[in-house]
Formats: sequence, C-alpha cells, structure tokens
Amino acid sequence: MIRIEGIAKKFGGRPALHPLSFEVRRGEIFGLLGHNGAGKSTTIGILLGQIYPDSGQASIGGCNVHQDRHGALSRLGALFEAPAFYNELSGWTNLRILTAYSRPLPRKQLEATVEMVGLSGRIGDRVSRYSHGMRQRLALAQALLPLPEVLILDEPTEGLDPEGIHEIRNLILRLNREHGMTIVLCSHLLTEVEHLCPRLVILREGRRAFYGQWREGGVRRVRLATDRTDDSLALLQRQGLLTELFPGGEALLSAAANIPEIASYLVQAGHRIEAIGRVENRLEEVYLRALQDVKEESSA
Amino acid sequence: MRLFFTQLGYELWKLFARKRTHIGFGVFLVTEVLILSLLHLPKVQRSFTNLLHENGYLWKDFNTGPTVAFLMVSYTVIILGGLYIALIAGDLVAKEVEDGTLRMVLCRPVSRLRLLALKYATCIIYTIVLVFFIFGSSLLLGLLFQGMGKLFVYSPMDGVFGIFEPREGLLRFLAGTGFLAAALLTVSTLGFTLSCLNMKPATATIITLSILFLDSILRTIPFFKSISPYLLSTNIDRWTYFFDDSVSGWSLAASLLFLFAVNGTLLGIAAAAFQARDFKS
Repeated sequence: MIRIEGIAKKFGGRPALHPLSFEVRRGEIFGLLGHNGAGKSTTIGILLGQIYPDSGQASIGGCNVHQDRHGALSRLGALFEAPAFYNELSGWTNLRILTAYSRPLPRKQLEATVEMVGLSGRIGDRVSRYSHGMRQRLALAQALLPLPEVLILDEPTEGLDPEGIHEIRNLILRLNREHGMTIVLCSHLLTEVEHLCPRLVILREGRRAFYGQWREGGVRRVRLATDRTDDSLALLQRQGLLTELFPGGEALLSAAANIPEIASYLVQAGHRIEAIGRVENRLEEVYLRALQDVKEESSA
Repeated sequence: MRLFFTQLGYELWKLFARKRTHIGFGVFLVTEVLILSLLHLPKVQRSFTNLLHENGYLWKDFNTGPTVAFLMVSYTVIILGGLYIALIAGDLVAKEVEDGTLRMVLCRPVSRLRLLALKYATCIIYTIVLVFFIFGSSLLLGLLFQGMGKLFVYSPMDGVFGIFEPREGLLRFLAGTGFLAAALLTVSTLGFTLSCLNMKPATATIITLSILFLDSILRTIPFFKSISPYLLSTNIDRWTYFFDDSVSGWSLAASLLFLFAVNGTLLGIAAAAFQARDFKS
C-alpha cells in the first residue's frame, strides 16, 4: 500500500535520511519508531509530498506522491504530532475548511466523525479554547474525513489522559478491523506500538535500524528450566550455544544454535529439562539493540 | 470551478476571521475623521483658501464632500493602504507556514499551484475591498460633513490641478479608485511573493514596505527623474491622472501594463519558490 524506495534527504548538506526503503502492506498497522532527529518526520514529510527527497521515491496505492499527488493523497489522512488549526474559528469550521481541500462532505458524515472522536459537545467552540487533548481529537477527526484508505498517525495519543489513550487505541484497532484501513503509527511510546504494530521500522540518525516483524527473528531469546538451571545455562554458554544470559533462566541463542539442538545437548550432558521455549521479543529490547547495532555500524 | 470558489470562500473566511485583517479598515476610518476635523481648523482653511484665491477660485465653492474625499485619499492611500496591504499579503502564506496550518492543508489532495492561486485570489480580493472601502468611506464622510458639490483636485507631485462638476467629479473619482485598486495589486503581489519564500511573515511585510518606501524616496530625488517612470510608486500614483485631461489614456494603460508585468514576474518567482519548497514541521 505504501512503498518507500531508497529515499534520501539532506538539509543544508547534513543528511537527515540515508537511503531508506520499506513497505507497508494493505490493511496492516505499521509502526515507525525512532527518537527525535531519527528521520521520522522527514519520512512522513516525504510521504505526504511536503518534502522533496534528493533521491528515491514514495508511493501510496501505486501513485507516486510527487508525480501524482492527487491520486496518492486522496487515499490518505494524516495526524501530526502538534496539529495546527485556525484558532479563531470553531472546530466545526476548521473541519469544513480542511475537508473542502479534498472535497466538500455531507454534514452527516462530519457529525458522525465528530461523534466517533468524542468531540460532539464542543465542536462549535473556538479552537483557541480547546485543551491539547481536544485538539488531538479534532486532528484525528480531520484525518478521518473523508474516510481514508491510509491513515498516518504521528503521536496520536500525545497529551491525552489514560482514558483518552485507551479510546484512541481502540478506535485505531476498530478502523483497521472494520474498514481495513492501513495505518502507519509513529510514536515514541513503545507500549503503544507494542500493542498495535506487528511490523515496524526503527530509524536512528536517518538510517534504518530495524525493519520487519519484531516479535520473531532478530533477537533469539529462550527461557530454560532444568534441575540445575544456572549450571545448564553456563554450560550452553561455554559451548557457544548461548551468547548472553539474563535473570529468570532467560538467554540469547547464538546465531548457529536452535532450541532442539540445545535440548539434545543438555539431555546428553545429563541435565533434566523441566521447561524450554522461545520467549517473545520485547519491543524495548528490539529497539535498543537495533539502535546499538546502527551506532556500532556508523562508528565502524 | 465550483470547488475553487468554495475553497476561495473558506480562504476569505479564514482571512476575515483574523482581527488584524480589520485593523486597516479601522485605521482608515479614524484617519479620515481626523483629517476632516483638522480641515476645520482656521489655519488649515486659510491655507486652502489662499491656494484657491491664487488661482482665481473661491473656497466656499470647493469646500465640498468630493474635494475633501480626494484630499483624504490622495495623501493616505499609498502609505497607509500600502502598509495594510503589505501586512496582509506578507502574512497570507508565511503565517500559515509558521503556524503549521499549511502542513494540515498540504496533506489534502490539493496541488500547490491551486493553493497558491487560492491565496493570491484572496490577496486580490482583500486589496480591492480595502481600496474601495478607503474611497467609499472618504466620499461618504466627505458628503456627510461637507455635502455634495464641485471637485477640486490638486496633486503637486504629479502636477495635477483640476476642477470638475459634481457628476463628472464622482465618475472620475470612481475610475481613479478602480485604477488604484489594480495598481496597488503590485504591493500585494510583492508581499505575497515574499510570503511564499522561506521567511517569517513579519520579515515579508517589512521587506515589502522597505521596498515601497525606498521606491517612493527615489521618486522624490530630482536627479532620478529619468528613472522615475520605472518606479512602482510613480506608476501606482498615476490614478491622479484621471483628474488631468491633458494625460492620454495610453499613458494610464502603459502604467498598468508595467505594473502587471511586474506582478507577472513576481508571481512566477512565487510559484517557482512555493512549488520547490520543503515544508518541515
């Protein structure tokens, strides 16, 4: 649905994005992670046709964002981290103005969306009187009008209270399940991405640090329990089958090892296995490890 | 085309929802009332009377609404009008970039050129509305305070001196308004173009005004008379030629053509710059 092919960008001679490629599949919730200055905003800017890449191309639904802007952007809704509105006008007028740049929409559709984001009671108020959370809800409403095929959400829960965060998270899931909407979620909250995004790309200093399914692959973590767990782990590490040990009987498999192999080795060594299995990756670990890898690569 | 006008309607809504858009209208009303009041001071009336006497006319015959309206407009419209036009035009794009609302708009499937056309159309409408407001309110206040009568026109810088019957005076006043609205579009276009470049709204406004003032200063330096026809202020001020029968229509048309050529060049720069710009958060 979204294809980013080798996009690179420099600002004032300083690289903001090194050639970056990734793909977002139709109907998935895809995560875009990275800390400040990692290149997330530049990537989104290029995807929205607001920043021209120095090389490479971005397309949405097969339409090149810069060559067929109308075709690409008519499928898309976007919410920015710090949404800006015409403060002297009401939320309702803001929605009418912004949607008029796509196409004027029937009043009912606007009302239903306002209801969906929970802003019905205050939509007639001036935006200057809105709290940050209300602005965020209004931003989500405008992104959903008209109902897009692709939704780009940059920090959608920023400034919301826990109840609001829960509501928005459910809404994202509902939009994805009921409307088959493809969603790109940019967030610095790892728990947010962990809950919603099976696949993601992690950026660091404009480079791709990780891309793909984060729960499997990449990090190979196992949990082991034997009649003498600590000894078993130490033995496996000495044999080069484990690379790193963690508390609670957890360890990282070496690149060449696999679970049946270490189980067989332990049995042969006379250890009684009580439990052995793969531990799902934690996003925080994937994230930190990916950033570390890129750091090492760049310093090398 | 219908969608364009819907979008233009919203652009105007946005513009006129802002308080600063109305400042120009308010200031002109205050200025007009102030000038009208000052014209009643004995010293000011004496000066006016002497000027008419020197030319064989009587003050009481020309102390009329149209004459007062011309006085109010001719001495204020370029400087004050230019100021408010520059303020709004310099804001149109740059302020939306600064506030971040332009990024919200640019997420929509609207081309940059169309957006630019909408903004420029808004700029044109504001300029025309402001100029007609200045002329309309001056005339209205003049008529209210002094009543209808002959129009006496005196513009020393352009060497214009004329006396007109009420009906003819009003028609020339109206024609002059139309010309000036079109001529002042150059100030709008200059502000608008700078607003499309990568700069703050205040910078765009200040540069526009600096250019306008510098241009006006150059015009007053006698040694630069030969280059005067190529100055913006010279051509904008030609609206006073509507009150001078010795000036041909061609001369007015040439001034407008010159200004439109400047506008066209500036718009080309604006479009190229806006089209090529990166809009970052």
